[in-house]
Amino acid sequence: MNEIPPNQDQADEVDNRYRRESALDPSRPSESVRRAVLEHATQLAAERSAKNGPAQIGAARPAANPRWWRPTAFGTLAAAALAGLLIIPRFLAPDAPLVGALPTVPVRTNAAATAASQAEIREQPQDAMADVRPSSPPPPEESALQPDERALKPRVSSRNEGTVADSAAEIDAKNAPAKVQSMTNPRSTAAGGGSETDARRAQTRGATGISASPPQSTAPTAQSAGSPRQSVAPAASSAAPTAPPARLADSAAEVRRAAEIGAVPELQTLLGQQGDIDARDESGRTALMLATLSGQSRAVDMLLAHGADPNAADAQGVTPLQAAIAGDRPAIAAALRRAGAR
Amino acid sequence: MTVTGESDETLMGRYGRGDAAAFELLYRRHEMRIWRYLVRNVGNRATADELMQEVWFAVARDAARYEPTARFTSWLFTIAHNRMIDSIRTSRRQLSLETLGYESESVVRQLTADPCSGPLAAAVARDQAGALLHALEQLPVEQREAFLLQVEGDLSVEEIAAITDSSFETTKSRLRYARTKLRELLKEHA
Repeated sequence: MNEIPPNQDQADEVDNRYRRESALDPSRPSESVRRAVLEHATQLAAERSAKNGPAQIGAARPAANPRWWRPTAFGTLAAAALAGLLIIPRFLAPDAPLVGALPTVPVRTNAAATAASQAEIREQPQDAMADVRPSSPPPPEESALQPDERALKPRVSSRNEGTVADSAAEIDAKNAPAKVQSMTNPRSTAAGGGSETDARRAQTRGATGISASPPQSTAPTAQSAGSPRQSVAPAASSAAPTAPPARLADSAAEVRRAAEIGAVPELQTLLGQQGDIDARDESGRTALMLATLSGQSRAVDMLLAHGADPNAADAQGVTPLQAAIAGDRPAIAAALRRAGAR
Repeated sequence: MTVTGESDETLMGRYGRGDAAAFELLYRRHEMRIWRYLVRNVGNRATADELMQEVWFAVARDAARYEPTARFTSWLFTIAHNRMIDSIRTSRRQLSLETLGYESESVVRQLTADPCSGPLAAAVARDQAGALLHALEQLPVEQREAFLLQVEGDLSVEEIAAITDSSFETTKSRLRYARTKLRELLKEHA
């Protein structure tokens, strides 16, 4: 024990010699031991497999577990029944199914672009706005529609059937007139001129509750779709002091909408009826700003001619002239400058 | 070391889940290491066979509870060490150099007289294995076991200390003196 410990090289030499000589050692455990060990291990493995097998299957496949079978099956059936209740009414609707409606949208845009009538060009964006609104029912005079518009109609009507209540919740006092306008007879303007626009506006006022009588020209489905607006009407009529401001606000919204879409005849009519031409929307944008942003030069000219403020900036401080320059609309910018825009 | 490329711990996991082939791979991978450790410690082939079976039975039985927190070889040699100590206690033998040295003479004869070897090979093996075993037999029990754990199990000093329930320094000293003694004995035999 008092010997000097060997260094690492000596230890390696001993280890290497041990391994070398061990490799030559013919000693082996008995074959019977090897056989007994392997048989025992195989037996234990078989017992383990038999014991763990069902548990592993249950963990990997929860649905195969008897405890989960019933909830899984009933849940699947309930989901399928619910889906059926939601989907089947759409297929049973009298209108055409949804399939085929969407691809016609670009065609409709092209047809609008090639239309000869300027009024028709102005009205078609209005129709497009009506199409995306959730409360537009199918008009009864379907024969008056262009083919591409008819293709759009089923989508609107099928959506209305199940979402009348939702649509009513979405309608606020300001936007309701425009929506009702498109609901009552949105397609009639496609072939018409200014007189039909006036008639539609008259219908709009009737439907918003300014007149107590509901619109008579609407189809039965439109009646159901119009129920939200009818529910609004009594509140407006019962609260008499609030009706005039609501009408003014509605008119201002109509002006802005007409300016934005370039509906010049309608805009001209509206400008002759209401006072505040510079009424703003929730973003502080006037009708002039909206017409500028959407490039409606004729609407801009008309608004300026009726005294619209050319420097009325929006909530962000952007003036119509700045918007025209930013939107690369030199004609509108020139008109605004002529009107004193800075 | 590996036949299939899978680690010992992976094979143990497979066997714990019921894969008997994984156990056979493990057995064949470590069979000779455990055998040499046992037979060169106890110095008796029959006892080594008996311990060999007990060790691997224990491995098979405890595989389901095996957790790879340590190396498999460390766990395996721990079992072998404990079985060897139990066997010695059961047979009321003292784990002493004298007792093992007495039996080791017959073990050398048994090993070198293995019928699987030819006469020439047996003669060569007798000479080489006799020198090696004779040198090992002359080591103190603790030094011999520590040495065998390191060269057969590829275990670290820390692992050997844990298996033999000794301190790190004590184990390190045992290894150092074992090699010194072996070197001297082998030189004498040469």
